[in-house]
This record gives sequence, structure tokens and C-alpha cells, in this order.
Amino acid sequence: MRSRRWLDLAPLALVVSASALGAAVSREPPGRLHPAQAWCGPSFERPLGCGEAGVDLLSLVSSAELRAVALASIVSVAGLAIGAPLGAAAALARGRFERVVERSCDLVQALPSFILALAVLSALRTPSRAALAAVFALTAWAPFARLALAQTRVLRDAAFVEAAVALGRGRPGVVVRHILPNLLGVVAVQLGSTGAAIVVSEAALAFVGFAPPGGVSLGGVLDQGVAAMLLAPHVLLIGGAAVFATSASMLVAGRAARSLPMGRRS
Amino acid sequence: MRRTSPSGARVLAVVGARVLEALFVALLLASLVFFALRLLPGDPAQLILGDEASPAELARVRATLHLDQPLFVQYLGFLRGLATLDLGDSLRQPGTHAMARVAAAVVPTGALAAIAVGLGTVAGLAAAVLASGPWLGGLTRWVERGLVAAAAAPLVAFAPVLTWALAVRARVVPLPGDPDTPAAGLLFASALLAIPLAAHLGRIARASLADVARAQFLVTAQAKGVAPARVWVVHALAAVAGPITTVVATQLGALLGGAVVLERMFERRGLGTLILEAYATRDLPVLEGAVVATGVLFIVAQAAGVAVHTAIDPRARSNA
Repeated sequence: MRSRRWLDLAPLALVVSASALGAAVSREPPGRLHPAQAWCGPSFERPLGCGEAGVDLLSLVSSAELRAVALASIVSVAGLAIGAPLGAAAALARGRFERVVERSCDLVQALPSFILALAVLSALRTPSRAALAAVFALTAWAPFARLALAQTRVLRDAAFVEAAVALGRGRPGVVVRHILPNLLGVVAVQLGSTGAAIVVSEAALAFVGFAPPGGVSLGGVLDQGVAAMLLAPHVLLIGGAAVFATSASMLVAGRAARSLPMGRRS
Repeated sequence: MRRTSPSGARVLAVVGARVLEALFVALLLASLVFFALRLLPGDPAQLILGDEASPAELARVRATLHLDQPLFVQYLGFLRGLATLDLGDSLRQPGTHAMARVAAAVVPTGALAAIAVGLGTVAGLAAAVLASGPWLGGLTRWVERGLVAAAAAPLVAFAPVLTWALAVRARVVPLPGDPDTPAAGLLFASALLAIPLAAHLGRIARASLADVARAQFLVTAQAKGVAPARVWVVHALAAVAGPITTVVATQLGALLGGAVVLERMFERRGLGTLILEAYATRDLPVLEGAVVATGVLFIVAQAAGVAVHTAIDPRARSNA
């Protein structure tokens, strides 16, 4: 079980360390222009070649990957931190609060999230990374809350929870001490798919023109690649592979949570 | 299938409740757009005209957009405009109603999404039936693995790569933005959009078919000597139609998001490109109209999915 968990984390570790290495090796900040080398192919000096106006792709892709992973990790952990206690508290409270939280989850999950992100970001001149994170967090909490709600419905009738209540522990105490440790393993599995979805959404938003300042995004690389499809196909192939590797590695990393300790259930 | 007597009324009740909920979601999305454009930092009039605008010009744009009125009055006016389908003139094309530009864009996006739903459903069901029946033998596992891989592949990554491979290398489909072959371009874009839907649908349908595989009615049909194709397509697929419509409905949001990406990539006219253009030129009435229209398109399609589900599956009516 334990070795399996590390195996699940290996692809993400590989993507992050390769990006960090790439950023270190390229020796220049992402986005510096060398117009004479525009669209040049991979060479010893520029291992991944150049993009539009001669930006070094190794530097651009490495930084974009690191930032995408950071954004996705922060937002999905924030979603877990908001959603899991909310869902657990709702299921414990029962009655109207439970119904309201459940319906809100349905509603948020029914909203087309990409269109929602477009709508909110279109109010800004250039979307900052903080704005992107806020937009993704608007919907990221819902699946966590839904899972926590379902899991707590099972847990709330467990003998140890009833015992804790009977011994006079308040609701916040029961949630923090007894419910959360027992549902984290189930709920945390969602981290991977939420993270992967955020990597893809960030790339898609940048691809259609909602790039963060500086344009350092995998979607920006794909956009350049599509524009120069005939001239320099390596840009498009590198961008596509980077998006795929980053999102797939996050997806696999989520599975590591399956083997999280399941708390003090026994 | 056995029918309970007031099933028509049940269908109406379920659909009615969904319509109310759908209207509420549409209102929520519209309000979010409205308040985001007005409450987030930055003066909309300034954003529209740029930094060098004179105070007189700013005042004129504020008056056109009613930005000089209290927020509550603006909101009521916006809701009235939505209800009467009149959000005023487009700022960038004076004399053209914002809603007329939106209406012209709904058709191509609707066509793209509808063809993608059709292709994706057929392909997904075909893969699921092939993997469930006795035809493929050892290849079954590969069909299942292919579905998992396709479901995990993000559209924004594989669509450009596939387009390059098929349009530039193999030259079997037209290049993005080629105006000479609109039908082939539309079909190719829809096929790309259909891939994630087909993969998700195929996985769920495969799992549902595995659930009913040992059901008595299927065993009976097989024992009576019905051909495998008829067993799986006619008997088993009908029993899992419920989960299938639900999957299509839940994938619609992602499908519309994908449509925006593909419209931008293929330089096709549609709601996605209209939203992006209205954003770039700060054409607020068009932007609001286009986002709300996209939301309504999504909601109508989803409600249609639920209606189909309740109409074909009596089990969906019982828990109204």
C-alpha cells in the first residue's frame, strides 16, 4: 500500500522536477524575445526550440508548468479546506442546512464552469493569477462538499460519533476530531481530478485569450503553436504534450490519497 | 414496461420543477455577469474608451449604458432587457441590436454542439456495446483502455495536435479557418468535440451494461436464441438509457466550453468567438447577451436531457 502511494506521486514529481530543471538550465526569464530566432527548431542551445518572436520554449514551458501546478494545487487544497468541513457540518446538522448545502452543490456543479470563468474574467482588463484562482475556487469546493456530505451521512450514525455527542462534545469538536479524520481519505481522492481540471481550464482560458500577465501559460504556447501550425509544428506538439503530462500527472497523484490513513475508526 | 396511470402528470411535474430550477440557474448566471462587470475594480466606461478618453466621452458612454444610475435601477433594467430580449445596441456596431448579434451566433454554436452530441453518443454507445458483447474477445480490454485514455485527454491539448496530424501531415481534413469547405470543417470540429463526450459516455454505458448483463430479462432473451446484436442493442441498451441521458446532460457544460476553444482554433463564427470579441472590444451589451445566451443554451439542452430521461424511464418519475 505504502509503496503504491509513492508510485502514484512519481509522475507529478517528475513533471515538477523536470520543469524546475528546465527553468534552471534555460538561464533566462520566460518570455524574453530573440526575433532573429523566431520559430527556430530544437537545437543544442535551445533544446525545445523557439516560439513566436524567438521566445525560448524550454524556459516558457518550464515556468508555465510550474505555475500551473502551483495554481492547481493551491485551488484544489483550498476547495478541500472549504468543502470538506462544510459538507461534514451540513450532514451533522441535518434538516434545512443539509438541504441548502446539498442543493447549492448541485447548482454550482450544474453551472458551466468554463463559461462562468469567461464571464467573471471578462470584467477585468488582464486577469491576474489571483483572479484566476478566485474564479476556479468559486466552483472547486462543491465536489468536495458533496463527497463529505455523503460520507458524513454514513459516519453520523456511527457509535463513536454518538458516544462523542453523548459525552458532551460540541458540533465543531465532533467535526474536527471525529468526522474529518475519517472522511479525508475518501474526499482527498477528488484533489487529483480537481487539480487536473484546473490545469486544463487555465490552459484553455489562456488559449482563447485570457492569459495571465506576461502570458506565461501552457495555453499561450498552444495558441502560438496553432498560429504557426504549418511553419513550426514543434511548438504545438510541445504545448500539447506539456498540458497532457501536467494534467495526467495531477490526476494520477490524486490516487495517492486512496491509501491515506483512515483515522480512528476502530 | 408497466405504466402507472398518472404518468403524464408525473412527467409534467418533474419537467416543471426542472424548468423552474433552470430559470433560477439562468438568472444566477446572468446576475453574476452583470455584477462582475460593474462591481469589480475598474470603471467600465474607462475600460471601453481606454485611458485617454475625455470626461465628456466618458459621460456619454456612462449614459448609454445607464452606468450613471443607481446599481439597483441598472439591475432591474438589465433583467427587463433580458426578459424582452432587448439589451440595447451593440457599442461597436451602432444601429445593430446586441441581441441580433447574439442570435446570429447561437445557430453555428448550436449546430456544432448538436452534431458533437450526436456523433459522441453514437460513438460512445457503439464502443460500449462492442466491449460488452462477445465479438471482440481479447480486444475488449483495449477498447476499455482506449476509453479511459480518451476520457483523460484534455481537448485543448489533443485538438490542435490531431488537427496538425490530419490537416497538415495527412491532408484528409481542411486547415483551420479554410473558408472553402465549411461543411467538412464543421464536421471535423464536431468530431473533435465529440471525443471527450464519447469517452465518458462509453465508460458509463459499459459499466451500466455490465450491471444489467446478468439481469433475468437478458438471460431469458439469450436463452430464447435472440442474436447477440439484438440482445445488447435492443434489450440491454434500452434498460440503461437513463444513466446515458444523465451523462450527456452532465457533459454539456464541458462541451460548450470545448466549443469556445474550437471556435477560436478554427476561426469559426459562434457564441464563443462573439464572447471573446465582445471582451476584447469591451462591448458590454453584446458580452452580457452572449454569456447569458450560452448559459440558456446549456440549460435548455440539459432540461431536454432530463425530459427525455423521465419520458423513457418510468423509474425516474417515481422519485419526483
